[in-house]
Amino acid sequence: MLASTTRSVSRLARSSRTFATVVDSAGVKVAAVDYGQPTSAVTFLVKGGSRFETKPGVAHALKNFAFKSTGKRSALGTVRESELYGGVLSSTLSREHLALTAEFLRGDEEFFVDVLSSFITSAKYTRHEFEEFVLPSLEADSLAAQADPLTRALELAHTLAFRSGLGSSLFASPHAHLTHQDIQSYASSIFTKGNLAVLGTGIDQATLSKLVEKSLASLSASGAAPSTTPSSYFGGESRLENAHGPQTVFIGFGATGVPSAELAALSAHLSSTPSVKWSQGTSPVSAGIPEDASVQTVLLPYSDAALFGLIVQGATPEAVKEAAKVAVKALKEAAAPGGIKNEDFGKAVSKAKFQAASAIDSRDGLFSVLGAKVLAGSQASVDSTLTALDKLTPSAFSKTSSTLLKAKPTFVAVGDANALPFPDEVGL
Amino acid sequence: MFGPLGYSLAPTVRSSRTLHKYLKPVADWYANLAGYRKMGLKYDDLLVEENDEVEKAISRLPAREQYDRAFRFKVASQCSVQHGPLPKEKWLPASEDKRYLKPYVQEAIAEAEERAAWDTMEVSRK
Repeated sequence: MLASTTRSVSRLARSSRTFATVVDSAGVKVAAVDYGQPTSAVTFLVKGGSRFETKPGVAHALKNFAFKSTGKRSALGTVRESELYGGVLSSTLSREHLALTAEFLRGDEEFFVDVLSSFITSAKYTRHEFEEFVLPSLEADSLAAQADPLTRALELAHTLAFRSGLGSSLFASPHAHLTHQDIQSYASSIFTKGNLAVLGTGIDQATLSKLVEKSLASLSASGAAPSTTPSSYFGGESRLENAHGPQTVFIGFGATGVPSAELAALSAHLSSTPSVKWSQGTSPVSAGIPEDASVQTVLLPYSDAALFGLIVQGATPEAVKEAAKVAVKALKEAAAPGGIKNEDFGKAVSKAKFQAASAIDSRDGLFSVLGAKVLAGSQASVDSTLTALDKLTPSAFSKTSSTLLKAKPTFVAVGDANALPFPDEVGL
Repeated sequence: MFGPLGYSLAPTVRSSRTLHKYLKPVADWYANLAGYRKMGLKYDDLLVEENDEVEKAISRLPAREQYDRAFRFKVASQCSVQHGPLPKEKWLPASEDKRYLKPYVQEAIAEAEERAAWDTMEVSRK
């Protein structure tokens, strides 16, 4: 039965959605795919996430500056005209990339590519827009992030794990002294042709290439590409008082280098998300945890490092402590040589493969998973990930897991800091 | 027409060399006669500010300009209390009488006009 599942997964992989070709259109990488959806989406993916920022919070500020006035139209004009076309404009920031996205009905691509590219080429970054629109939105974003224990835990975990670079926060601190000139100079350093990829769905590759070639002609071909030092993993422990939301503990381990298939399998093995709704699931974690606590696995892969971790949440610190003990025990068992049964290993690999393949089913997943590959110039498909998972052996799996666990753990407790467990209390 | 930046013949005058030559001394004489420079004020301090666009423009001034503006008003109101102009060496020199607020007001007016245009537009099918 397992064999047939594996076969069907790889069949899925072969027919999976993927950018057919990547065309270099006047120095900009353009990739598009069309399945005949009723709507189109175009994303300008820029290598300029928070790890590249020159001043803390400037990437976040640039994200919130998107679609403000440009040489072609004012902020109000952009909004009103997009509304007339019925399109949706959005900007998202990750640690590696800044993405500007427009979703619209088929046939309106000329206008929306122009909106996106005019922000890239001729945004004005005016002081009054920064003070009247961008600063309040930065503050609101940061406040919302502060109120969410999970976001706080992950932000702090990144800082402890990677310190600078990947460690810099996605959110501008409320005390950041940013000016519109900071944002302008950051934008001019990352908005270059070599640093940009244009991705489209529901749009013809040739049409998109032509539009991009026309609208981005004035963009400088190269410049000082944003630089960052290679990530290294440090680890550490921190505790934060948080009055709202569930009690949260993050137990993480980092690895440098390109994220390996072993980590994906480990994450899938420990993931307590059941395959059947309302059931308990068969993961080694899900059986032992108290009812009012939950354990999720997170694997955050970056270009040169990965952070793997367990998020333990619960209503009370005691429940979190119990659940964290169970989760750490399961993690250590999985990492011990021969600690994982062949059957469990096969299950984990299948689950990991399904996750990798289904991630690119949605438009967001397609853009975030394959966009990075398009930008890096590597093959834009998940085939290599799936092949790597196919080739995985139990011994390689436990070897990687035990090396991972040898490093200093990243331990973050957010909530009732007096009662939440310390690392040694959960068996780390 | 009665807005903060009403109709002005200044651009026409400035574009013609003859007119400029003859009218500039009159303009300078008039500006000095108006007396605001003797109170340490600039011309743009006199713009009627009870008006959405000018209020917006004032809020958009750089912090330093806002401070200087408030300081000039304090000096001028002190002059008013004392029923006399400043000592002559403290009068605002003509070279410092710049239209510091005008570009911001123009921008605010353009924005308001654009908003009105979008609010009242008619959509037609291509």
